Amino acid sequence: MHLLPKFDYYEPRDIGEACKLLSQLKGSARIIAGGTDLLVNMKKGLLAPRSLVGIGKIPGISEIEPVNGGISIGAHLIIQKLVEFDLIRKKLSVLSRAASVLGSPLVRNRATIGGNIVNARPAADLPPPLIAMGARVRLKSRRQEREVPLDRFFRGPGETVIKPGEILTHIVIDALPPFTGGDYIKLMHRRSLEIAIVAVASRITLDGPDGVIRDGRIILSSVAPKAIRAVRAEKALIGERPSEGLFEHAGQIAATECTPIDDIRGGAGYRCSMVGVLTKRTLSGALREAKGQ
Amino acid sequence: MKKLITLIVNKRAFEVAVEPNRTLAQVLREDLGFLGTKVGCGIGDCGACTVVVDGRPVNSCLVLAVQVNGSEITTIEGVSEGAELHPVQEAFVEYGAIQCGFCTSGMILSAKTLLDRNSNPSEPEIRAALSGNLCRCTGYQKIVEAVHAAAGMMKK
Ligand SMILES: Cc1cc2nc3c(=O)[nH]c(=O)nc-3n(C[C@H](O)[C@H](O)[C@H](O)COP(=O)(O)OP(=O)(O)OC[C@H]3O[C@@H](n4cnc5c(N)ncnc54)[C@H](O)[C@@H]3O)c2cc1C
Ligand code: FES
Ligand code: FES
Repeated sequence: MHLLPKFDYYEPRDIGEACKLLSQLKGSARIIAGGTDLLVNMKKGLLAPRSLVGIGKIPGISEIEPVNGGISIGAHLIIQKLVEFDLIRKKLSVLSRAASVLGSPLVRNRATIGGNIVNARPAADLPPPLIAMGARVRLKSRRQEREVPLDRFFRGPGETVIKPGEILTHIVIDALPPFTGGDYIKLMHRRSLEIAIVAVASRITLDGPDGVIRDGRIILSSVAPKAIRAVRAEKALIGERPSEGLFEHAGQIAATECTPIDDIRGGAGYRCSMVGVLTKRTLSGALREAKGQ
Repeated sequence: MKKLITLIVNKRAFEVAVEPNRTLAQVLREDLGFLGTKVGCGIGDCGACTVVVDGRPVNSCLVLAVQVNGSEITTIEGVSEGAELHPVQEAFVEYGAIQCGFCTSGMILSAKTLLDRNSNPSEPEIRAALSGNLCRCTGYQKIVEAVHAAAGMMKK
């Protein structure tokens, strides 16, 4: 049976206390949110932190709130709530779609959005739609508070710009322009409890109901050390009138922008081909949503 | 160092002193004797350890007992009313949805939570709600039929 190594457990009651505690414990402490990533790693013997700091009792970091037309999401919000909440389903349907295919219902009832971001797995489900919608993360430490755009947060597998002592408190998404839509498709060997073979999130903003594409984003997941933007494919969209042919073309470009590896879930060549297919499909889905269909 | 926590299990409050590295599954089984909660994989993959915490089914092998201090927990022992089985339990027996029984506690708790929220689930909704609970015996079909039948029984 998997047993957990020993550790001390702290449960700060507010964010100030948490920051103070983390700075006192220096590198020996880890934050525990839902624990669905951390406890697995500890049970497998990959990690043995001396102390864990539970952030579940800190007020103000588990809510979804509208702010100036945009949305602020507390880092400790469980992923199932992204599936359930009307505000997210209506205003950020691409995020609730991605949340609905993460792990299993049991995992989603514990796992948090903050944990999904900070663990920085190359195949994590929530970063792609969040990057597509221009999310920023708010990081708080004893000395300062800063905001980092999510597409500059990741460095590589398991690595981010977060510093020891910093807590991710909120994910902020500004008001989206009108005629914006998004889509996320995760290719899996089965429908639940599965990590993506390839996943793509796309977002399109039109300059009018039948207008040209003003902004387009394509985020590829599971095909590089971190979620990446298919920058050249995105460029090919701007100023163009949306069409099947255009999306096909963007997919072909995107397939050349990824650097997947061969592993048990799929070969690199297959993954590149699927990037092309999913890019086209998610762009079509994003277009339908942008037009309000 | 041990921490003193309170767990409200099946509507009864228990005060226990636990080491922080003990999971909810371990404390329920080893300290409180709720052996209906099973442990299969220990890492979130199988759902045998499913219990309901504050209304939501979770993998108790991936929850520290100290994290749920003060929470209301339902284990399989809390599903029947005395000797009277819950409709989901009755249906599982009637439809042959139990073979070895190792997945059953978790299956029933996931199914019961679904039916508490949605009294008339479709087949895809049933399969999705149970998708974190693996069964190596039944092939799932009888389980899905049992949940469907339980929904009918609960409406009467
Ligand atoms: C069976 C199973 C299936 C899974 N399937 C998927 C899947 O399909 N897709 C997917 O993306 N993931 C999956 N996961 C991984 C995991 O569940 C998710 O990544 C989850 O979102 C992690 O969140 P958590 O709250 O449990 O994080 P934790 O395990 O609590 O923490 C993860 C890491 O983030 C740090 N951290 C957490 N919160 C903060 C914060 N607010 N500030 C700073 N640091 C923080 C922790 O210190 C830790 O290093 C799966 C896990 C399991 C067990
Ligand atoms: S024992 Fe908890 S999920 Fe398998
Ligand atoms: S009855 Fe044996 S695992 Fe389900």
